[in-house]
Amino acid sequence: MRVKVIGIPVQDQEIALQFYTEKLGFVKKHDVPLSETSRWLTVVSKEEQFGTEILLEPSPNHFEPAKTYQNALFEAGIPYTQFNVDNLEEEYNRLVNLGVEFSMKPTEMGTVKIAVFNDTCGNNIQLIEML
Amino acid sequence: MNFYQQEINRISKICYKNEEQIKTVIRTRRFIENNFEQELNLDVLSDVQFKSKFHLLRLFKKYYGITPMQYLIDQRIEKSKEHLRNGMPVTETCFAVGFESPSSFSTLFKNKIGIAPVEFQKRAIFAK
Repeated sequence: MRVKVIGIPVQDQEIALQFYTEKLGFVKKHDVPLSETSRWLTVVSKEEQFGTEILLEPSPNHFEPAKTYQNALFEAGIPYTQFNVDNLEEEYNRLVNLGVEFSMKPTEMGTVKIAVFNDTCGNNIQLIEML
Repeated sequence: MNFYQQEINRISKICYKNEEQIKTVIRTRRFIENNFEQELNLDVLSDVQFKSKFHLLRLFKKYYGITPMQYLIDQRIEKSKEHLRNGMPVTETCFAVGFESPSSFSTLFKNKIGIAPVEFQKRAIFAK
């Protein structure tokens, strides 16, 4: 059993694709049309293109509880998931310059440094650097 | 301050109140990261940090969730991926990251990454 795909719920797949590729720097991996409004859409880390794929899934638009859960997490400031970076300050500055909004600036927490941003698709995402 | 930030502050106060311990494990992790290709073991790490090796082992596991030796192996595997991506031959990669036996390295790499180093290199070069 292997971890090949993990999902992130997004409110608009096209906006999500643009954000995750153009701002975060991921690379599109699979793009399969499923219906007029939905795609099997995955992205991967540029450095690990055959690593775990992120499925940008439009669940909040099709399943009310998914939308409710996503909204509740967002309102509480809780990250849906997290990505690792080598240098959080650098990545934070790069993303701020691209207009990305952070609800938590780089903050040390014991052996890690974390920051949280808005992915514009309904989620808070955490960046983490191991200290 | 949102709920998540409140929780982060609350948990930090509980789990990360001993700054001296945190500094020690961070120094240890960085030492491993900067010297992964050397012959490292718990004796070397404890000598560098002036801590007993079992105390250091306990601290490292407490804060990072894995032992220093597990972290060292993970670091070596990560660095070996970089070398392989850049086209370095498997045997040379093995020695460059501090492993001593190419066959053990290939087996370990396959266990950790899911494919053999040669296959990893082929796919990495193809993906460029």
